[in-house]
Amino acid sequence: MNDLAVVLASLRARRLSTAITAGSVAIAVALLLTMLSLRKSGFEAFQRGSGNTHLLVSADSSPLVAVLNGVFYANPPANPISWEKYNEIRASFPYEWAIPTQHGDSFRGFPVCATAPEFFSKFQPVRGEPWKLAEGRYPDKSFEICMGSAAAAGTGLRLGQQVRLTHGAGSDHGHEHTEYPYTVVGILEPTGSAHDRAVFTDLDSTWILHAHDRREHEGIEGMTTAADLTDADRKITGILLRLPTRPGSDASAAIQQQFDALRRDTAITVAQPAQQIDRLRGIVGNIDGIFIALGVAVLVSSGVSILLALYNSMAERRRQIAVLRAIGLSRGRVQGMIVTEACLIGLVGAITGVALSIVGGALAAAALKARIGLVVQPDIDPRATLIVLAGAVLLAGLASVLPAILAYRTPVADNLRPAA
Amino acid sequence: MQDLRFRRPHGFGLHVPSLEIAAGEMVLLAGGSGAGKSTLLWLVAGLLRADGGTIEVAGQRIDAMRESDRDRVRARHIGLVFQTHQLLPDFTAEQNVALALMASGEPERTHLSRARDLLRALGVERTGAHVTDLSVGQQQRVAVARAIACRPVLVLADEPTASLDAESGAVAMDLIQRACREAGAALLCASHDAGMQGRFQRVVDVRTFVREEVAR
Repeated sequence: MNDLAVVLASLRARRLSTAITAGSVAIAVALLLTMLSLRKSGFEAFQRGSGNTHLLVSADSSPLVAVLNGVFYANPPANPISWEKYNEIRASFPYEWAIPTQHGDSFRGFPVCATAPEFFSKFQPVRGEPWKLAEGRYPDKSFEICMGSAAAAGTGLRLGQQVRLTHGAGSDHGHEHTEYPYTVVGILEPTGSAHDRAVFTDLDSTWILHAHDRREHEGIEGMTTAADLTDADRKITGILLRLPTRPGSDASAAIQQQFDALRRDTAITVAQPAQQIDRLRGIVGNIDGIFIALGVAVLVSSGVSILLALYNSMAERRRQIAVLRAIGLSRGRVQGMIVTEACLIGLVGAITGVALSIVGGALAAAALKARIGLVVQPDIDPRATLIVLAGAVLLAGLASVLPAILAYRTPVADNLRPAA
Repeated sequence: MQDLRFRRPHGFGLHVPSLEIAAGEMVLLAGGSGAGKSTLLWLVAGLLRADGGTIEVAGQRIDAMRESDRDRVRARHIGLVFQTHQLLPDFTAEQNVALALMASGEPERTHLSRARDLLRALGVERTGAHVTDLSVGQQQRVAVARAIACRPVLVLADEPTASLDAESGAVAMDLIQRACREAGAALLCASHDAGMQGRFQRVVDVRTFVREEVAR
């Protein structure tokens, strides 16, 4: 027999109370660790998507909205940019590339991005990681589509299948372009960015769809072709710009200068995606600070539940403490057993919490990927885990101070009387 | 003990001019309920602190010791038997006995084997059973085994038969006295049962120690 055996027997005798108390510690630790884990990897995930773009031009109301819509497909951009404006911007500076994009249509709720072939050959969705095809090829003719990995998985579409796109972003809004079927020609490898949820096609076919709508309203019958397109039909919603850089470098000294130059044009909004994503991190950071504070609050409340569980058990344990003291255990030793008991509850709860956070992190990551296409790799930081583990045990130890004082003060003779 | 004084909160108290118990001697502490028998036992055990005088157990002045030292003396030299056994219900019979060995500082590896030997010697075969699964008689044996586990020089028994009928009480007293004899321990037994007096070498009436005012 040793002191630990006495403590374990005491815990076993109060199985239910021990399990509930350790469970509350586990939930608090899991919540805290999951928040810390998702926070780190969530920030990393937000950086994916803008890839090797230096500047993003749109007609959205603010640079942040431009990035949310243009990089994360949050909403269809409200205002278009004319093809003329695109050509003007492209000609204004020797950009390495200027890729037009047009968002606004959708397929079964997945956003459609109409773009130029350079989107696949020059734009990298994640810096240093060019597009890769899982199957098929990139679209090179009108009315061909290439599916992002999540969109392909979500719709179950295979190569060669024909689909009809919806005008508008939601599956419940807009109308289906039934006259113009698209053929699936490629499925992309996952990129870990919001682009995985998108469906890609060329600009001409998108313009033809909308020109067809216009012509129907005007009472013109028959199918619309590229030859029927007017300058007004050729609209885009965004331009991805990359400035020339030195070999091996991603930065360009001219970014700020060109950013300022473009901002003078009041008809467009220009954004530096990296800067806006940092801003977004700042906003999200405040929210996740609240979650972390809540996690700490839950941890503290679980410490209080340890205190209450031990405190409530002290009445029934007075006799046990008196007997242990009568057979010769010192006050300090009995007090130490109470503290050890609390620390064990804290430790078991914290270890369970770590396991729960691993499972919870994986589930949260799966939900984020499925809902918003944000690929998050839950990563348990060993240092943070150790700090939270030590914190939980320390908190449990602190929670045991009052019960331990009660144990210390238990009057032995009084509690050994039969009536006591 | 010499000139032992202990004052109770309401003025009544105990004054023991002199009381000596020889090694292996069996002494009955007689007196009615509330007379102060248990109080005197707890003073000897070091669980209560005297207001004056001296108490010596196994050659050590426990009245002059710090509490932690009194705990150590109690663990190593004094065994206690209680009216209601005071066994710990969360533990098995052998664990209850082993607890006393743990307190006395015996090497951990010997605890359970010695506890089993003691229990079997006292007629408890189900040493691994929880004490709540044992009969009252068996529980009494476990309590006695716990009291003599540390090879005490003195066993203090507080009304060990008060909750038993006459026949069971006689069996319990036989058990305690036999265990003390075999262990070579003196026995100071508090009991209000006058029928027990014939079992003891000496009877001390605690009422002779009761005083209305006990000066410091």
